[in-house]
Amino acid sequence: MKLLIVEDQQELVDNIQAYLSRGDVVCEAARNFAEAQDRLISFSYDIVLLDLMLPDGSGLNLLRLLKRMNPETGVLIISAKNALDDKIKGLELGADDYLTKPFHLSELNARLNAIFRRRRQQGHKVLEHGCIRIDTDTREVTVSDQPITLTVKEYELLLFFITNKNRVLTKQVIAEHLWGDDVDLLDSFDFVYQHIKNLRKKIAIEGCEEHIKTIYGLGYKFTNR
Amino acid sequence: MNLIAKTTVFYLLVSVLVFGIGGYVTYHVVETEVIKETDYALYDEVQDMANDIRDGIPLEILRRRKANIEHLGDHLQIDTFYRFTDTIAPHPYREGETEPYRKLEAVKEVDGSFFHITITDVFIESDDIYDVVVEIIWRLFLILGVGMLIASFLVTRWLLTPFQRILSSIRGFNIKQSEPLDLPKTTTREFRQLNAFVSAMTERARRDFRTVREFSENASHEMQTPLSIARGKLELLQETQSLDQEQLRLIDDAQTALRRLSKLGSALLLLTKIENHEFRAQHKIDFSTIVNTCIDNFEELAMLRGLPVRREVKPGVKVALDPTLADVLVSNLVRNAIRHNQEDGAIEVYLDHERLVIRNTGAPPTIPTRDLFKRFRKNQQSEKSMGLGLAIVKKICDTNRLVVNYDFQDGWHEISVIFPTNV
Repeated sequence: MKLLIVEDQQELVDNIQAYLSRGDVVCEAARNFAEAQDRLISFSYDIVLLDLMLPDGSGLNLLRLLKRMNPETGVLIISAKNALDDKIKGLELGADDYLTKPFHLSELNARLNAIFRRRRQQGHKVLEHGCIRIDTDTREVTVSDQPITLTVKEYELLLFFITNKNRVLTKQVIAEHLWGDDVDLLDSFDFVYQHIKNLRKKIAIEGCEEHIKTIYGLGYKFTNR
Repeated sequence: MNLIAKTTVFYLLVSVLVFGIGGYVTYHVVETEVIKETDYALYDEVQDMANDIRDGIPLEILRRRKANIEHLGDHLQIDTFYRFTDTIAPHPYREGETEPYRKLEAVKEVDGSFFHITITDVFIESDDIYDVVVEIIWRLFLILGVGMLIASFLVTRWLLTPFQRILSSIRGFNIKQSEPLDLPKTTTREFRQLNAFVSAMTERARRDFRTVREFSENASHEMQTPLSIARGKLELLQETQSLDQEQLRLIDDAQTALRRLSKLGSALLLLTKIENHEFRAQHKIDFSTIVNTCIDNFEELAMLRGLPVRREVKPGVKVALDPTLADVLVSNLVRNAIRHNQEDGAIEVYLDHERLVIRNTGAPPTIPTRDLFKRFRKNQQSEKSMGLGLAIVKKICDTNRLVVNYDFQDGWHEISVIFPTNV
């Protein structure tokens, strides 16, 4: 995946690059509007990560330019602006998704991968990890070629794990990914454990090896083992 | 009472005083003058009589109705004198009435003979003088009063017009607009000073307002970037292979604190924006749809906490409110109802054209109910709550002419938002 990060905060760019480079993502960065414009004209990217507030121009204008030149490129907007207007305008202009700062890097990764899969040609939307195979188009999951039935949440959970494999995912991060920011309303994240227990059962029954490693009191990690 | 009316009344009161004293003084001056002139006339008449006697005119001819002359004798050793007195005599025409007279009694020597002369003259009554003075004063006062009323009317019309316009300009002042106040040009020095003062002050108010608003917006906004960076660094740290569980726990705790901080920043930013009236209700929105969507969004979380949500939402309820604010309002109330609930509790949402009522079971409030809507006041048991949700609800209601009430009865918290314009 070839990614362009348009963001004026170098530290933030560093974080994203450091996190994503561990997967098979090629990251390039543009610190301002002019630089981003140059890069968008000269090269083509799978996905552009776009901050709406740039020191020398609006990210929305970059989005218009990009959609005119290369409509196939996916766009994920990141902005501190929580305003509904910006969100709607960005999505109307053709952005694929919108992420509000601050965000979890694992959440960013999951969103980027989701956009990437949606944008890829038919037949390439299949995710494989060991004996687990997910067709993201039909939402069919097979373990060792045996189809299994997952609930919506279990499916999303598995997808989240696979796109963030070998990374520590806290219960908070998992809960927020599945139920949104308001998950803080709940006293405990025990229900996350319930879902993971069910998921484990379903992928284990088919004779596949255990993938979900528990980090006691903290969260989980999806490993190759 | 306006300034001009007040000064007019004041001047009228002063003139009543002045005219009263003036009337008194006039009365005495006139009276003294009348007595003096009468006395002169009487004295002249006595001199005339003396001359007539000297000319040999017989006393019988000189005696008249009001003059009496007696021949006292010749070469007497008595003093000559003039004596003026006031006396009363019967009215010449009206039967039974008396009139005041001025009487001059004199003993005069004419060529060695002594005469006793008495002359009386009608004296202008003090009653008459009084009447005349009162009449004059009264008319003057009337003329002055009418004059002053006309003058004050003209003053208000012309002299104070710039002042009225300055006032209406100040009334129309909006701190959020940037165009300068429309202050009238005037030649009056005081109004020019007032103009200068008002425009300087409004300019400064606007500048301060802009600064404060920009500061709070920027502070909340700029805060998010370093927070984002810090959270990212912690996430990267979490990925490091060598960490033990205790270290991972510490990282997670730090993450929790940072998350709270960033939520706090967004909530404060929202409060500032509402306070600055940045959300204007352009037109009435379909509140029913917003309430339904909001409950749909939260239903799953409520179910995870084992809280059934019962709703009774009348369709087509219209409320004049910005759609974003409407969403924030309902979300905060529902969020509140979920957070401050109990085991096996329940939530009820009721909406009609007059009110939105959100009820939930829960422990009785531990702080006075009037403090519930204040910032950072919260029940002790809710650690995760920031204590800003209800403050935001209150602020939205205050700035959009909605009324919010809280009640706790029989284990149910009830918050109702009333739409006074729909009642």
